[in-house]
Amino acid sequence: MTRLSDLPPAQAKRLAELECPDFETRPWVTGPALSQRRVAIVSSAGLVVRGEMPFRGRDPDYRVIPAATKPEDLLISHISINFDRTGFQEDRNVVFPLDRLNDLANEDVIGSVAATHYSFMGATDPVQMDPHARELAGRLKRDRVDAVILPPV
Amino acid sequence: MSALGHYIEEEGIATVAISLIRPQTENTKPPRALWVPFELGRPFGPPSDPAFQKRVILAALRLLEREDGPVLIEDFPEDDPRAQPDPAWQPPFIPAAVSAGPAETLASRLETEILLLTDAHEHWIGQHGRTTVGLSGLSVSDCAHYVADWLHGRAPPSLRDGFSAPLMLRFAVDDVKAYCLEAAAAGPAKPSSRQLGDWFWSGTGAGAAIHALRAAQLASEDDRLKLIAGNFMVPAARVRSAG
Repeated sequence: MTRLSDLPPAQAKRLAELECPDFETRPWVTGPALSQRRVAIVSSAGLVVRGEMPFRGRDPDYRVIPAATKPEDLLISHISINFDRTGFQEDRNVVFPLDRLNDLANEDVIGSVAATHYSFMGATDPVQMDPHARELAGRLKRDRVDAVILPPV
Repeated sequence: MSALGHYIEEEGIATVAISLIRPQTENTKPPRALWVPFELGRPFGPPSDPAFQKRVILAALRLLEREDGPVLIEDFPEDDPRAQPDPAWQPPFIPAAVSAGPAETLASRLETEILLLTDAHEHWIGQHGRTTVGLSGLSVSDCAHYVADWLHGRAPPSLRDGFSAPLMLRFAVDDVKAYCLEAAAAGPAKPSSRQLGDWFWSGTGAGAAIHALRAAQLASEDDRLKLIAGNFMVPAARVRSAG
């Protein structure tokens, strides 16, 4: 089960035809070689640190995930149930590849890993996320992040 | 989420998105994206396969060094080897499940199965060092009891500040599902998500109880409860036709 054609037809149609924002600009930021970049994860999986407030419905803000968060303390509170969670249950890196980023930093493939990572809940209207994402960019800059990977779920 | 890439890049930080649904990414036109041919929920592919996951993340990060954008959308060439069923997998033993019946029977069966799965779930924790049960803030037996109360028609109040009762119910159901699916995956075999889902939704009393809960709450006069029960308890592909 890997492609839209593998999903139930109604779900595949809904996903493929989901209304997406139509942006007028095409931003493009360049930077140093990968080996000098500081990388953060900004997930849209509705991730939350255990004990903190899960995403309730379509909350448009984000949750903070410190890099020191233990694997046992990372939960998914995404509103959708139409995706697999058993992969994440076995290994957080299926959704939140922090250990892989640390591997790449240890191998000097990337420069470093951000001190803090973040998660939105991707079923939220993107327009509602806009101000939160821009505020988050300020946090990322203060952490000297110059590369962001954006995994969905 | 490709829109996030647009916003963050506009603020001056380079981004690369992982895409699971290529048509959405083509429509949103983020600065850079790597489409991966994996099932929803697995943006970096197979669990417990660091080498494969590293190839995915590196393929994405390498797009940051390209100069021929925007927009860049590339495809990852490998399929997830864990998408295939494992014929060696056996679900944990529970007595043959009832697939339907009075709500009281299903509620009782749900609570019994949670107890029966205790050893398997402890095995899972020993194997993987963690559980993803915990959204509700309740123990899993309390989650099962809370869900059972709803099946009995009692509409209990929320047990956690900041959660409405329908949200409490949703997270209790999420925790019951996580517990059962973790217990079922304990052991050396590597079941696919479909194998686990087939077992849970068609072979357990817990799954039957959640089907019944959904059906009962769809008749609720509380629109929020109806919305949550209808859309956020049973996956669309597993919903039973009426009757």
